[in-house]
Amino acid sequence: MTAQEAQQQSRLLRGIHRTVTGLHPALESLIAAVAGLLVGALLMVIWGFNPWEAYSALIQGAYGGSYEWANTLSWATPLILTALTFSICLRAGMFNIGAEGQMYMGALAAVCIAYFTLPPGLHHLVGLLFAAAAGAIWSLVPAALKLMRGVSEVISTIMFNWIAKWLGLYLALNILVDSMRAEKTVSIPITARLPVLVKGTSLSAGIFVSVAFALVIYFLLWHTATGYELRAAGLNPTAARYGGIRNKRTMFLSFILGGVAAGLAGATIVMGLPPTYAAFGGFPQLLNMGFNGMAVAMVGRNHPIGIIVAAIFFGGLSSGGGWMQILAGVPLEMINVVMGAIVLTMSIPELIRVFPAAKNGIQKALRSMLRKPRSAAGEGSA
Amino acid sequence: MSDTNAPRKGEMFLRAEGITKIYSDGTVALKEASVEIHSHEIIGLLGENGAGKTTLTKILSGLLPPTSGRVVSPAGPVQFANPREALDFGIGMVHQHFALVGTFTAAENVALSYDRPFARTQLAKTVERLEALMEESGLGVPLNVPVEKLAVGEQQRVEILKVLSRDVNLLILDEPTSVLTPLEVDELFNLLRRLKDAGKSIILITHKLKEVQDITNRIIVLRQGEMVGDVKTADATTEQLAQLMVGQAVDEAIDAVELSDQELPVRRERRAVNRSGKSILHVENLTARGNTGDIAVDGVSFDIHGGEIFGIAGVEGNGQTELVESLTGLRVPISGTATINGTNILGIDPRQIYRLGVAHIPEDRWELGLVLPFTLAENAILGVHRWKEFRGPFSVLKWGKINQHVRELMDRFEIRATGPSAPAKSLSGGNQQKLIVGRELAKDPAIIVAAQPTRGLDIGSARYIRQTLVDMREKGRAILLVSADLDEVLAHADRVAIMYEGRFMEVCAPEELDRERVGMLMGGVTVAKETA
Repeated sequence: MTAQEAQQQSRLLRGIHRTVTGLHPALESLIAAVAGLLVGALLMVIWGFNPWEAYSALIQGAYGGSYEWANTLSWATPLILTALTFSICLRAGMFNIGAEGQMYMGALAAVCIAYFTLPPGLHHLVGLLFAAAAGAIWSLVPAALKLMRGVSEVISTIMFNWIAKWLGLYLALNILVDSMRAEKTVSIPITARLPVLVKGTSLSAGIFVSVAFALVIYFLLWHTATGYELRAAGLNPTAARYGGIRNKRTMFLSFILGGVAAGLAGATIVMGLPPTYAAFGGFPQLLNMGFNGMAVAMVGRNHPIGIIVAAIFFGGLSSGGGWMQILAGVPLEMINVVMGAIVLTMSIPELIRVFPAAKNGIQKALRSMLRKPRSAAGEGSA
Repeated sequence: MSDTNAPRKGEMFLRAEGITKIYSDGTVALKEASVEIHSHEIIGLLGENGAGKTTLTKILSGLLPPTSGRVVSPAGPVQFANPREALDFGIGMVHQHFALVGTFTAAENVALSYDRPFARTQLAKTVERLEALMEESGLGVPLNVPVEKLAVGEQQRVEILKVLSRDVNLLILDEPTSVLTPLEVDELFNLLRRLKDAGKSIILITHKLKEVQDITNRIIVLRQGEMVGDVKTADATTEQLAQLMVGQAVDEAIDAVELSDQELPVRRERRAVNRSGKSILHVENLTARGNTGDIAVDGVSFDIHGGEIFGIAGVEGNGQTELVESLTGLRVPISGTATINGTNILGIDPRQIYRLGVAHIPEDRWELGLVLPFTLAENAILGVHRWKEFRGPFSVLKWGKINQHVRELMDRFEIRATGPSAPAKSLSGGNQQKLIVGRELAKDPAIIVAAQPTRGLDIGSARYIRQTLVDMREKGRAILLVSADLDEVLAHADRVAIMYEGRFMEVCAPEELDRERVGMLMGGVTVAKETA
């Protein structure tokens, strides 16, 4: 092979290389979503379901009309916020796995506003503020442990999720309990309930809270010096320090913002979920919203706008899943399989970035596929 | 294959035929390079950064497969799947960045390259073998100390021992002298000559002309992946080599040659030094610990005046980094004072230090100087992002103004990039460094702390940056130039301090130093000033 031929081949390789590793992030997410759905389809075929039928039902149930859209958006409402929790902290270089617990705390703090009355509007605001503060405070303990004692925030936030769960359960069923119904907390008074936007659905004005918060975070990260510092510290803490950025401060800030987002997620659920407007023992409406937020953050590429889109997609899977079960007989768990497959597919490009060895392996595989019939020189060296 | 009989003189050991290497990103690193390597010879592999020197040797030593072409031994074509196969065949490489486990001793590190490194008897055997080898080669290294505690020169000797202990016939050394003191370089060269006499082949990668002329028999010159010369050292003049190496830009190459000549570079015109300029940076008894907790800077005192370049020379790792970090807010020293125009700068934030008029061109541009995934614009405001020009109310960044500022920087400092939104990692090393220099000088500093400002840059960029620093001196700024490149310091500084183990061995004008003295001072030998 002459140098010129080799160069031509290399141009082709370069193209493929760019396609594999340098995909536009949005495209990467799209491919992951499609791959996840394909894996789900494959499993359905194996178990004897009709994937076409199932997915039509899913799409119909998720995006088929204004009623369906409303349900999807109501699922997306807390997901946007918990995804932001994860993303803000990740942008600052921290892994905050604690959205779940921070969200429980936010939800219970919001319930507390049932004990006093305020004019509507102000009452809503106080509820949201309570929740935001509770989420932030709950996230501060792991943050402080990290900054003062070097405790891994991954471990401590996971532990705090469990503490939040059992402490929350105790508070919900013993302190904040509805004296008439032992399985739930007191209900949020009418003056503080987030209005339902589409009748007969659970879509509340909470969606405005999440979308607004996402936009605020977007502006903060890319258009303010504070957000700039946060991103710099996350990408290269050493260079950030050189640039006069106080890394501890940015980490702290990211945890506070993350906690606020998770707390608000809890509030949008209890303050906006008809008919009871209360938290139940075991937190059925809240359960896993914090963890699913991480998947949303991943698919949304840790970008607030991407997160809104991804949350609508994941919300659609959740709300359409029920229809899939009813119309195509596919068990609801299939939705979890699809979500899991999406997360796995998403992590492939990340893996390539993290482990150059994987990249080399893929390149080598590509090269051997592309190799032309061996020329004389090629045979000589074999 | 490890024959104990020394090969006959001049016998062919290995031949590379028509080697072409194209990396997966399309970079053509080598074009049809052919080399024949004989026993009893030292080959100098000469070329600028990116000329393909390292690629060629990596192919020879089995680290990289060639895209086309082949490597032939007298017994037929050879192909190595990995460095171990190459080692078994008798080819060993000592890399610029050592492949040593810091917490292991020399003996343990060497044992790692054997088949069963953790077998109980292996270590004892290795020690025995190394002792014999050290006797034979004259290489002395403490075997039972963790290598991270050894000096860089000693670590390099461990690497060489590691390779020699495998009975190699071809030893490849990648820029071996860049981390050594002049004395250590002499020792290394003596060793290489002995190895050559014993029948080994040696390839020495370097970009220092003087070195290749000193020690090699044959010089191969690479330029942009092409072999442009294969000459006997005795037949080549410095000018010829320089011309081969850089092609068109001969002037600059000869400049570089002049600098690395035996004679000290003569300053073209000796400025009337306005050392009477007022002292801007005043440092007294500065003492700081290194990352390991040892004292790294040991009671250093000096002044830098406006209109002056104060150079710090010395082998890397003698406290220069810690000194710079202490002065730029990245490290809190344990005692001493440092003031800029009378204001204390020790133990305060980098941001406050920048306010006092300090610009810092950091040693490590990837770790410290840039946030690589950030865009050009984002990097151009690192450290000044809270300045009024760029930040409005509510800490909102004025991207319009920032982008305009970046375009000005790109113009003024000849930064070649597609635009302000190009990611910093897409820039070449030279352009990245120009971006940092531009950003720092845009602070309109009173003092510029430049650490290794031209390391790893091509001649053009290095020259540009040196010239920029000289211009800033002419404008009356104070400049602290810390560099492992002795010639760079000697050619540009008005006063030079030689740093060794955290102390200044000597502070004087560069004219007062000759090369031998500098070498001894860098190696920690105190010498009385010659009587005039």
